Amino acid sequence: MGDPIDSMLDLMRRLPPTRTEENVAALINICPDDADELLGSVDQPLQLKIDRATGREYLACDYNRDGESYRSPWSNEYDPPLEDGEVPSSKMRKLEISANEAFDTYREMYYEGGASSVYLWDLEDGGFAGVVLLKKSMNPSSTTEPSGSWDSVHVFEAAERGRQAHYKLTSTVMLQLTTRKSSAGDGSEKDASKGAEGWKRDGEVSLSGSMTRQTEQDWPIHESSSHITNTGRMIEDIEIKMRNLLQEVYFGKTRDIVYELRSIDDLEKARKQRELQKELVGFIKR
Amino acid sequence: MDPHERIQAASGFLLQAPPGEINDVLNDVRNIISDDDLLQEGVLPALREYNLAQFMTVDVPGTDHQSIVSEAARVPDASDEKERFLDPRSRTSFVFDHLSLEASEPREEDPDPETEPIRAALEASTLTYMTSHFHQGVASVFAARDATEEYIIQVVANKYNPTNFWSGRWRSEYHVNFRDSTITGKILANVHYYEQGNVQLATTFDVEIKLPAAIQASNPPAAASKILALLEDEEGKYQTSLNETYHEMGEKTFKGLRRALPLTRQKIDWDKVLGYKLGAELSSSKGVFGSS
Repeated sequence: MGDPIDSMLDLMRRLPPTRTEENVAALINICPDDADELLGSVDQPLQLKIDRATGREYLACDYNRDGESYRSPWSNEYDPPLEDGEVPSSKMRKLEISANEAFDTYREMYYEGGASSVYLWDLEDGGFAGVVLLKKSMNPSSTTEPSGSWDSVHVFEAAERGRQAHYKLTSTVMLQLTTRKSSAGDGSEKDASKGAEGWKRDGEVSLSGSMTRQTEQDWPIHESSSHITNTGRMIEDIEIKMRNLLQEVYFGKTRDIVYELRSIDDLEKARKQRELQKELVGFIKR
Repeated sequence: MDPHERIQAASGFLLQAPPGEINDVLNDVRNIISDDDLLQEGVLPALREYNLAQFMTVDVPGTDHQSIVSEAARVPDASDEKERFLDPRSRTSFVFDHLSLEASEPREEDPDPETEPIRAALEASTLTYMTSHFHQGVASVFAARDATEEYIIQVVANKYNPTNFWSGRWRSEYHVNFRDSTITGKILANVHYYEQGNVQLATTFDVEIKLPAAIQASNPPAAASKILALLEDEEGKYQTSLNETYHEMGEKTFKGLRRALPLTRQKIDWDKVLGYKLGAELSSSKGVFGSS
């Protein structure tokens, strides 16, 4: 048998995405030793936090976590406070500040709301890595209004090679959409189509999941801020592609599969039509 | 974690298995728990619960059709005997292996002469309906055990396509009660699409309709065909409304979460974004967007 971690990841690819957090917690309870590796490999919905110093919203994930505390990209402070919490080198932090500002603009232009955060860290081999997080939720004011959330996690590694940099980007988008509907006729209303009889209908449709894509590209660098424009372009491109893909899978593919199960049209009639046609073709050939 | 808690966690995972993937989930769980003796004993109740809830289908011994294993199919147990499930269509009960999903030890069962004419009529109409609208459906119709003049119609359709990384299941269940003149039903659809990701559709639909008096007064075959016409209409409307929900979700929710392109309909000019400070300037932005 293989490594349990592979089985855990396979399991997470099968279980309902709406229950990811609960299932990850259960797996960690079973195998506490694999907690770090599991948390680093399974994308979970991003948590929204408020920076105590600036009042701005930021996003928490495994990459800005130290113990039980999360670092804000705006104030660079941990919450709950940590005296010796890990922070980027001053050069990295400078780049991180600019990256946060740039992706905040990106967020406003594509998401028109929501929250973004960028975290950077040095790599041992001289390069650096980072994560760009974006989240937007639509919370309904009533139970019958649709709700949804979009979470993007872009993890990248950058390696400078002279005046070029090589980027490896792993992008995951988690998307969740829910719609509830209910209707009832109590018999007193003039509901002609149902013969004024009592009836009741309640339904919920939930589409949820995540998709992951990887890209590698080389881009020129003129100054350190080139890393922001380069990763910005790569992330913008992959998000556009992934949005199209999600649209296709969520609204096309899953719907087609429902039609593979049940047909609105009468299949028996269609079968008879085909038989009749065959017969006619045979008849004309003769 | 004590063995009891481990079994509980394992059972929780099994009950969430997508259509047709119970063996894959069990295989993962086996590797994670890595205690086959504990697992073999412990997970059977969860497998049983899963099979009953998911309307697992089984080849009925001595017939060329399948029937549904569910709570409605359970034969009231004669204490120390093995649990048996009924296929009313062939008047056969059998023992079901919840792991191999196979039936064995078939036994003939005499139907209740009082309920059988209506049940058989509903079954005939249900099978006609099923072949008209389901590509690979299985249906069973039962006389309810604990309610008089009540019949339970169950339909399930599965498609498993692991080569193309998807699977789907449609379940319908209707309780037709002649005494209360009601039909209460539910439709559940589940789809799993897992090519480089994990996307799931889960729908629930509950419906309650009155049984028209004209149907009550008809003879069994006529009543049955009218009842199935009602259900055909209901399920057709539901599937159409599902289309509308898809459209709404795509047009409103999805677009509201993330735009396809910024308002300017151009991709961002990153050189201009850089160093640009967000704030009051954004609303009156000039020069940030592409060539504008």
